[in-house]
Amino acid sequence: MKRILLGSLFTVASLQAFAQAPGGPDCGWGNMLFEGQRGTPAHFLASTTNGTSGNATFGMTSGTNGCNTSGALTYGGKSWIAMNGMMNELSEDMAQGQGEALTTYAVVLGVKPEDRAYFSSVTHQHFNDIFKSADVTAEDVHANTLNVLKNDPRLAKYATQA
Amino acid sequence: MLTRFLWLALLACTSLNAAPSIAPATLDRLAQDPNWIALGHYEYKRLRGWHSYVDDRRFFLAGNGRYSPADELAATLKALYEPATLGNKHAQCIFPARTRWLRASLNLSDLPQPECTDFHRWYGDIAPHSAVLVFPAAYLNSPSSMFGHTLLRIDQADTQADKTALLSYAINFGAYVEGSDNSMLYAWKGLAGGYPGLFSLVPYQQKLAEYRSLENRDLWEYQLNLTPEETGRLVEHVWELQQIRFDYFFFDENCSYRLLELLQVARPGLRLTEQFPLAAIPTDTVKAVKAAGLVQHTEYRPSRERELLARAAPLSAGEQALAQRMAQSSVASSDPAFTALHRERQALVLDAAYRLLRYEASGQPRDAERSQRSFSLLQAINRNPPPALQVERPGLPEEGHPSRTWELGLGSRDDRAFAEYGLRMAYHDLQDNAYGFPLGAQIELGGLKVRQYEGGDWQLQQFNLATIRSLSPRNDLLKPWSWQVSGGLERVLGKHDDAVLVTHLNGGAGGTWQLGPDVLGFALGTLRVEHNNDFAAFAVPAAGFDTGLLWRNSLGNLRLEAKGDYFTNGEARRQLSLAQQWELSPTLGVRLAAQRDFSHLGGPVNEVLLELKWYHY
Repeated sequence: MKRILLGSLFTVASLQAFAQAPGGPDCGWGNMLFEGQRGTPAHFLASTTNGTSGNATFGMTSGTNGCNTSGALTYGGKSWIAMNGMMNELSEDMAQGQGEALTTYAVVLGVKPEDRAYFSSVTHQHFNDIFKSADVTAEDVHANTLNVLKNDPRLAKYATQA
Repeated sequence: MLTRFLWLALLACTSLNAAPSIAPATLDRLAQDPNWIALGHYEYKRLRGWHSYVDDRRFFLAGNGRYSPADELAATLKALYEPATLGNKHAQCIFPARTRWLRASLNLSDLPQPECTDFHRWYGDIAPHSAVLVFPAAYLNSPSSMFGHTLLRIDQADTQADKTALLSYAINFGAYVEGSDNSMLYAWKGLAGGYPGLFSLVPYQQKLAEYRSLENRDLWEYQLNLTPEETGRLVEHVWELQQIRFDYFFFDENCSYRLLELLQVARPGLRLTEQFPLAAIPTDTVKAVKAAGLVQHTEYRPSRERELLARAAPLSAGEQALAQRMAQSSVASSDPAFTALHRERQALVLDAAYRLLRYEASGQPRDAERSQRSFSLLQAINRNPPPALQVERPGLPEEGHPSRTWELGLGSRDDRAFAEYGLRMAYHDLQDNAYGFPLGAQIELGGLKVRQYEGGDWQLQQFNLATIRSLSPRNDLLKPWSWQVSGGLERVLGKHDDAVLVTHLNGGAGGTWQLGPDVLGFALGTLRVEHNNDFAAFAVPAAGFDTGLLWRNSLGNLRLEAKGDYFTNGEARRQLSLAQQWELSPTLGVRLAAQRDFSHLGGPVNEVLLELKWYHY
């Protein structure tokens, strides 16, 4: 019996198993690049019934990839957690040097509007330092990004803000 | 003991003293106010009286709150004055939208001030400022998705300027499916209201991944002109609906209907839901929202599939084959086929190969080898990035023809003239006015055709329960199957040259090929089961074929089709047909069709039909 899942089924981060990874054990923070998208393609009947959602997620803890939002994972006022579902898009954008996920990443890191184009070009040049292998996790990508920023005089200020 | 008594007394007094005495006439007036009706999701039916769509005890404070807006209003008013110490459980925290409206309408300046920490944290995280209506459009391989779906995206103040819609939240309404129902039961219950509907709030990027990557549907985003205040009111009300169960019916009380209700809560005075008494097909509701002047501008996000095809379009056959090889296995960058290309072409091939690989990986679990290959391609793209991809924006789906069709036809069958009257509840066939629809997709539900022959005898010509056809072209990169299903009643050639009404169920599978820029050719093998009074057995199976051409020309769509059914009892039936649509206006079309039927039971019969089609919701 397969469960019909259209909306992702997220388990609410359980309280007892904290401190395993930032954001909790079910958090996508440790997901590797190219992690399969959750859920299955809508089969025919599912799309007939107007995008049925498997589990009615609601509120912040259950709607954030299973991450516990109470941790100190916010940058520039936005929850970092929102990023971990965008790793694939981010890798694509960074490889090309442009795109929505890359812009969003800059905003999440607190990069000011006037520095965003520059941020895009620097991270594009350092793609290999940030996405070091096919097995990087969101956590690695973030740490590597900060390293790259630190070594750039204009962007260094954004590496410490976190 | 004494302290406790004092506390009790104090509490009792507080609630007694503070309960406002409001004239019954005022309460009655407020209970009928459109705001209150909207907040309670009430509807008035002449025979039934008042009734709320919400099917959940927890949403009502009065015992019969579901059936009485007035009682619910009185109970809410009372609950607002409960002691503030209830905190998050206080009615003001559970029903912030009701609270705001009642406070304003009755000038309630003396309300207790509970600390609604849960609500404020939730609301603060969303930080609503503006709203976007999102419409994932049809997916050709799944014509059922042609009905679409709608959801709302809630943006923060800086979302537009920063282009960070990926960080926004989406409000989605869908049927709540528990566990392990099988597909047929699922479909039936979904249509018949067997599942409750619930709102959910999820990160928008998750919805994007679902629609653009998994289902390969284009997304349309309609920026609404709701003010921050109106958007806030909407989000406050959504808080009231968390985990609250609604009746869910596919046709009318569906996602799109519920979103219209939310918009009416946001901007009182909008009259949207009343336009959809029978069915709320998402594109129709998008049309209504647009007609109400709510849409500021429209954004388009192509699906991953469309992006892949757009990237591959300028490539030569050899380059496409190369891209395919690179997606399937690691091709050395020293490969002569690759090095022979100009650097700009290499960039396009690499990008196409990467997109193809990710397209094939979508919905699959992570695979180490494929991930490595994807990563190597990304590194190559990083060294030689292609220009930004430009995808041509297709026709606006909400400007496609309305979902319901009225048909009036005149024709002759051999020598007998007839008039034909038809009504189709939904939605689109291969030849209907094409703007806003993909070529080769058909979904029809609930079609009825009645004929009156010369001399006055009426007959039921056809009752189409459902017909779905998905003719999506195969090319070098993508090889989708084409398929079709249909079932209902129709007339076929019978004994004595009579057309006999039969019950049938059909299915077919095969392929479709792009023969020219606007020409599709298709060929399918078919199976059919038929109940026919001319047959001895109750139901007789048949195998057959269905093949033809579809040409999008300047008048409209032309279809040339040949099909045959070979029954196990020896009957063989074939049909050759040619039809051309002439698109008169967005809501009017004329179709001229000619067909010739052959059967073992009688001689061939020719039929010509000129039909006027009026698309009208």
